[in-house]
Amino acid sequence: MTQATLTQASAKPRSASGAIYVVHRVAILLAFAAIFYPGFNPGRITTAINRNVSLFTASISYNSLVSELQRPLARGWVQSSTFVLVMVSSIVLILGIVLCGIGGCMSVGNNRMQRKGLLFSFGGSVVMGGGLIGIYIAYSQIVAAANDRVPANFSGGYWLYAVLTAAICVTSLVLMATDRKKAETLEPKMEMHERYKIFLLFLPILAVSFVFSYLPLWGWRYAFFDYKAGGELTMENFVGFKWFTYLFESEATRSDIFRVIKNTLGLSAIGIATSWLPMAFAMFLTQVPSKRFRRVVQTFTTVPNFLGWVIIYAVALAIFSTDGFVNNFLNNILGIAADTNYLMDSSHMWLKMWLWGTWKGLGWSAIIYISSISGIDPVLYEAAEVDGAGRFQKMWNVTVPQLLPTFFVMLLMSIANVLSNGMEQYLVFSNAVNKQAIEVLDLYVYNLGIVNGQIPMSTMVGMCKSIISVALLFIANTASKKLRGESIV
Amino acid sequence: MAKKQGSSGMKYRQTAGNMVFNVINITIFTLFTIICFFPFYYLFINTISDNALVGANMITLIPKGIHFDNYVALRGVQDFGNSVMVTVSRTILGTTLMVLCSAFAGYLTTKRQMWNRSFWYRALVITMYFNAGTIPWYLNMLGLGLTDNYLGYIIPGIVAPYNIILVKTYIESIPASLEESATIDGASVLQVFTKIILPLSKPILATIAIFGAVGNWNSLQDSLILMSNSPGLYTMQHRLWVYLNSSSNLQAAMTMGTAAATVNNKVIKYTISMVTIIPIMLVYPFMQRYFEEGIMLGAVKG
Repeated sequence: MTQATLTQASAKPRSASGAIYVVHRVAILLAFAAIFYPGFNPGRITTAINRNVSLFTASISYNSLVSELQRPLARGWVQSSTFVLVMVSSIVLILGIVLCGIGGCMSVGNNRMQRKGLLFSFGGSVVMGGGLIGIYIAYSQIVAAANDRVPANFSGGYWLYAVLTAAICVTSLVLMATDRKKAETLEPKMEMHERYKIFLLFLPILAVSFVFSYLPLWGWRYAFFDYKAGGELTMENFVGFKWFTYLFESEATRSDIFRVIKNTLGLSAIGIATSWLPMAFAMFLTQVPSKRFRRVVQTFTTVPNFLGWVIIYAVALAIFSTDGFVNNFLNNILGIAADTNYLMDSSHMWLKMWLWGTWKGLGWSAIIYISSISGIDPVLYEAAEVDGAGRFQKMWNVTVPQLLPTFFVMLLMSIANVLSNGMEQYLVFSNAVNKQAIEVLDLYVYNLGIVNGQIPMSTMVGMCKSIISVALLFIANTASKKLRGESIV
Repeated sequence: MAKKQGSSGMKYRQTAGNMVFNVINITIFTLFTIICFFPFYYLFINTISDNALVGANMITLIPKGIHFDNYVALRGVQDFGNSVMVTVSRTILGTTLMVLCSAFAGYLTTKRQMWNRSFWYRALVITMYFNAGTIPWYLNMLGLGLTDNYLGYIIPGIVAPYNIILVKTYIESIPASLEESATIDGASVLQVFTKIILPLSKPILATIAIFGAVGNWNSLQDSLILMSNSPGLYTMQHRLWVYLNSSSNLQAAMTMGTAAATVNNKVIKYTISMVTIIPIMLVYPFMQRYFEEGIMLGAVKG
């Protein structure tokens, strides 16, 4: 019985109204998404409005809206009432979109719910229209003011919203008109199929994920433009792969990028070459007879992993700087005069960085192996003992093979992450002396883009890094499947 | 599980070779443990010793002239107090929202009825393995108006795919019959979630909460990139970093407090470092179990 209703519901006959519903929902979804995107802000009635203000920002923060209009407002070139109107209209527009959103959600319910939902959508589109009219009035005020410094701008977002509003309005009207079902034939209650109900509950989570993980990909286009902070992306400053070739043609950037790649790969290589250390740590620690001793060691060696790199740097200062522990110890305990600042030294930087990383992370990385060891069947050890194996033979012939699968996964992951050393460690430890030796790719991108403001170039570098990393992960995963019949992601 | 841990080590007869092995083994681990612990001890004894002695670099192994005025004097460092507020509030707010969201999302993704479930779930999970890069991320945040804005700390962290996977895996291990019987009794999706799923998944929620809280407590990068024009919104770690790199800031900030006269730059830097360390040191031993369970869960999923 239930099964029958389910199939009936999922195999709803595809009709013309079904297609219109799809258009209706897509229009609502687009209207919703564009709220957060500054490029589609219909309220950017003058190019003097900050180009990073989205419809959403405009509706919640008047200060952001007029952030670049202080002078025109103070001089009276434009009236603040115009921008208050823009803000109020933005709020009205968003309110309309929310109403449409409710209608859109209800459109996946049963017939009775759909009918109610269409009312919401229609009402919402009317409210949206009101918001758009408000923005148009503000726009005509700017046109009337006719001031060169506050040039009027009929934004692309306005067209987008005008089209979407019309689409929502028309589709909801058409659907209402074609709905010939009599009220008596409708279901007694508003209901929605479970599959859509759960999906709608999940939708906000997908939306947040989309905005913060997928939307940034759209920012890759900056890599192909000659963009300066605050400027525009137009076809005139489209430069194609100029930044990519520039990276290797210009003498200065070429030596920079090769140095940075060398650092990145060098540090990663040291990490990979010593990735057996946590396993050895775990194997030898489990050989200690006293459980309490093992517990204490584990607690104290894992704590540093949970402290940020700034704190590690504070520790480094306290121990190795001119007035730090090492010099104090030499001066006060051993009586040797010393005042070296060990942090202002550029020798063996990769090794030192590796040591700090190991000091911080070794105990923690070992935990996974310690747990694996505790899961090994004691029968295996007993059998080895019967065969006359000693301590080291048991470790080598029983424990190691049991830990290898875990080790293999860890190794593949670190190979896939060969370009991502993270930036915090190298940022906090870098100073004038050692900067050259520890600038890794992540830090280079940060320095180039955020500190020096070279957006296109740093985006290009970051983009290449992301693409190569994904490719590496894919290769590592394929290798894992081939060798062990199991994927790692 | 933990009981078996020592089994392989206990069975040796006390031969000379074994004695030597044990002595060397234990010595190495003792040394490493001391190396891990000593720096924090050293920082601490310098914050509680006589400031004049600390200033003269005389405190090496044991504290002298113990007092706690330096911690009291921190009240005078106004912008540090500010950053503590930022970090504490984002730790509480950000972690709570992340945990609730992960619990809810994890529960929803276990529901096979969801329309196109596997597609949406994959779309969510795949974001763990790629990112557009720092700069596009920054430009996106700029576009959303989340730079120089406290919400920039909170909203992006709400959806954490890795934690959603952990919760999903955990909920799938709960007997389905519990949920079924509740559904038959007429409970809605939300009721099942709040009355059955939430209470039963407390252990995994504790685990992700603790990881989330540590992450928020240690946050530096987002503060660095997003809040460059708003020193009032710096996180504690960011503020500490600024202090560590400058010598003038602190003395200017130290305007009041009875101990101010004797406080010097070095002492106040150490004290601020200790303030950011102590909460983790205090909480960690009690929460160690959850941390360790967390990493094992991750390993199972891979």
